[in-house]
Amino acid sequence: MSERANVVPMPEGEFFEANRFAGKSALFGILALIGIVLSVVGGLVAPHQFAYSWLFGFAYFFTLLIGCFFWTIVHYAVDAEWTVVVRRQLENIASLLAVMAVFFIPVLLLRHHLYEWMNIPRGQEPLLDSKRLYLNMPFYLGRCVLYFVFFGAAAFLLRRFSVRQDRDGNPWWTLASRKLSFLSLPLFGLCLTFAAYDWLIGTDYRWFSTMWGVYIFAGAAGSSMSLLVLVITALRSAGYLRDVVTLEHYHIMGKWMLAFTVFWAYIGFGQYMLIWYANIPEETQYFIRRNVESWNVLNLLLVVGRFFVGFPLLLLRGPKKQPLKICVIAGWLLLMQMLDIYIIVLPALHGTGVHLSIWDFVPLLTIGATLAFLFLRVLGKASLFPNRDPRLIESLYLVN
Amino acid sequence: MADAITAPDVVRAEASDSIESKLKRVPLVLNRRNFRWITDRISGVVEEPAPRWWWVTFAITSLTAAFGLFCLGYQISTGVGTWGLNHPVGWAWDITNFVFWIGIGHAGTLISAILFLLRQKWRTSINRAAEAMTLFAVICAAIFPGVHVGRVWMAWYLAPLPNNYGIWPNFRSPLLWDVFAVSTYFTVSVLFWYTGLIPDLATLRDRATSKIKKFFYGIFAVGWRGSNRHWRHYEMAYLLLAGISTPLVLSVHSVVSFDFATSILPTWHTTIFPPYFVAGAIFGGFAMVLTLLIPARAIYKLQDIITIQHIDKMAKIILLTGSFVAYAYAMEFFVAWYSGNHYERFAFANRVLGPYWWYWWVGMLFCNCLSPQLFWFRWCRRNIYVVYFVSMCVNAGMWFERFIIIVGGLHRDFLPSSWGMFYPTWVDIWTFIGTFGIFTSLFLLFIRYLPMIAMSEVKIVLPEADPHFQSAEQHHPVAAGGKERT
Repeated sequence: MSERANVVPMPEGEFFEANRFAGKSALFGILALIGIVLSVVGGLVAPHQFAYSWLFGFAYFFTLLIGCFFWTIVHYAVDAEWTVVVRRQLENIASLLAVMAVFFIPVLLLRHHLYEWMNIPRGQEPLLDSKRLYLNMPFYLGRCVLYFVFFGAAAFLLRRFSVRQDRDGNPWWTLASRKLSFLSLPLFGLCLTFAAYDWLIGTDYRWFSTMWGVYIFAGAAGSSMSLLVLVITALRSAGYLRDVVTLEHYHIMGKWMLAFTVFWAYIGFGQYMLIWYANIPEETQYFIRRNVESWNVLNLLLVVGRFFVGFPLLLLRGPKKQPLKICVIAGWLLLMQMLDIYIIVLPALHGTGVHLSIWDFVPLLTIGATLAFLFLRVLGKASLFPNRDPRLIESLYLVN
Repeated sequence: MADAITAPDVVRAEASDSIESKLKRVPLVLNRRNFRWITDRISGVVEEPAPRWWWVTFAITSLTAAFGLFCLGYQISTGVGTWGLNHPVGWAWDITNFVFWIGIGHAGTLISAILFLLRQKWRTSINRAAEAMTLFAVICAAIFPGVHVGRVWMAWYLAPLPNNYGIWPNFRSPLLWDVFAVSTYFTVSVLFWYTGLIPDLATLRDRATSKIKKFFYGIFAVGWRGSNRHWRHYEMAYLLLAGISTPLVLSVHSVVSFDFATSILPTWHTTIFPPYFVAGAIFGGFAMVLTLLIPARAIYKLQDIITIQHIDKMAKIILLTGSFVAYAYAMEFFVAWYSGNHYERFAFANRVLGPYWWYWWVGMLFCNCLSPQLFWFRWCRRNIYVVYFVSMCVNAGMWFERFIIIVGGLHRDFLPSSWGMFYPTWVDIWTFIGTFGIFTSLFLLFIRYLPMIAMSEVKIVLPEADPHFQSAEQHHPVAAGGKERT
């Protein structure tokens, strides 16, 4: 692969030939169907376990998609250049956020297994009663609707504007996207924070941490950049984007992976250390549950794997400029994000130690295969890079 | 009728023109200023005799600094009782001032290190002055923890020095981490600043007309000749220092936040403190950079180098960090309520409605949360008066914020019978004003004796610095796309 772009790509863009990958698409479709059937079985046979397993799978993919949405809006808000050639893939992935609303239905159906606060009637638990203004069903549902409407609509519009620009080349779309991104930034912060509260630590209404939203964000942003690296590399190995995405782009994506590996560690350490230091039972309960028995092994694996392995590897320039190596690291970081979400969700169910269940894998299969299937369909609908973006040339001739 | 141009077409074409103008990258140095103009204009500030305003201002600020130092001497010789500290308010203006100044000392290294790693070329016009400001702010900050211990001659206990008494600092205390964090930050910031200065010191040495100046600039330019080898080493050193400084920018204020957050005091103990303090520090630091550079660019006619584009970008950083600070405030309130903890709920209600209510309404809400929201609008970011107004609001607001965190958290403790208020004495007030004197005096000396803008770095971002540069009209695509950009 050339270090830098030296050919101008075709002005009409590059298109994904869906027919070439019909086999893969069908495979994902079949896997998704199998997953859905198994999920129904799981929901009926072992609803309590399956509820947590599903929440784990849902939250994992949600953080990946939301991270891609974040990178898209940041691209526009800071008027970035380097992202132009990879932005379409961010938009494609983020546009699947609307689908996540469908995958949220099982969470709603199994809510009584997940969220203890929904089962406790008023007047029984004074602590909970003092939070009823926030933790009540109508408000909870309203918030969930707001999250999906906002994320779904904003991601849809950003992709639509970008695709429109492919056709007419009007730079107005860039400005419109910029305005939409400005508006989206504060809403993104608030929606992600409260979604993280509602869905993830809502499993224990007693626990709280002001850092929680930032922690989930840190994991989402870093892992979605890893996902982007994998998607871009997959497209390149299929023969696409070869004249467009260069090693310089890989280098930058690697640098962002490094930045968010450090940021995740910083936020995670800050949260853990402050709670450990102050040693207040209301706060330590979350970590005590996750630091006992076999959970502690997974916790240590997360800290070592995500930071102490990821950091030195990403610090080097070499791996960031070699697609194969950066893909291995990206895959590892995605696994670590999965582990992170697993440690967040499952100990609420199995407080005495890790209890891996077959149902933990089914949601990953169902949601993952469905998203992959839909992604392949979305991929063929527009050029693989924004071929008439006003910053395209600068992005092509990127020099680090 | 295929060729007919309709009214909507015209409207669309006009709209398109204006859109393209909005998307166009504006050069970082305006009016096609060349290398020579940059050298002459920036070196001229140092080489020409000091203007009268400089002497008048310096006289005022140095007198203020002297009075501040007198207050410190009085406090050290008499005791901490000269300050208004009491039970339950054991920390007040001293630590407020410490956190305030250390926060201001964040923007410089952020601009130099983090923006360098992010390849933000616009930083070159402002990094030198911002870094100098960082160092002076850290000097002002370091005064307070040093003297607030009471017996300042025992301050060496802070360092883990082997001694006959077998007394060691408590390594588990965040107060000790602070000593390490701040001293490391100061050391690395000095090195980073000085490394960046070397090529410019050599320029001043080469242009010096008196032997004394030539000697001193020559000593500090450490034999710089601008050879290829020198540049290669210099750029590697600069990159490494930027890499080392980046975690320091984040760690220093995180450690400062630990001073509070590791405690179990309501409003102090909260997990979001580290990023919240870092964002607040960058927020306050950028406000101070603007406070100093807006007058400096007008006085020394540097508008072609510190352009409105630079001010616009700094305003955006203030908006971003200010909004994160507002988010952190909101999360604090939300979680205090959500925790169901009565003490937390009371402490936050007390912040808004207690005796220090106006610090919160004016300082935290208006100055820190609302005033930066003006920067959502382009014309506000580009109006010097609005930018200056907001910067002053943020300067004040960030001091108020630290005050209300510290005193607001202490003055009504768990035992209502020991509740109290804090009233500053004249020593408190004049020590703080004195640090402003020290800060501005040092800054005035800086602009008098050192190049306040990194000449060599500004030249590097000019289109002419690109090896492919041909002429103003015929740019190589890389040169046009890569260099005439922000």
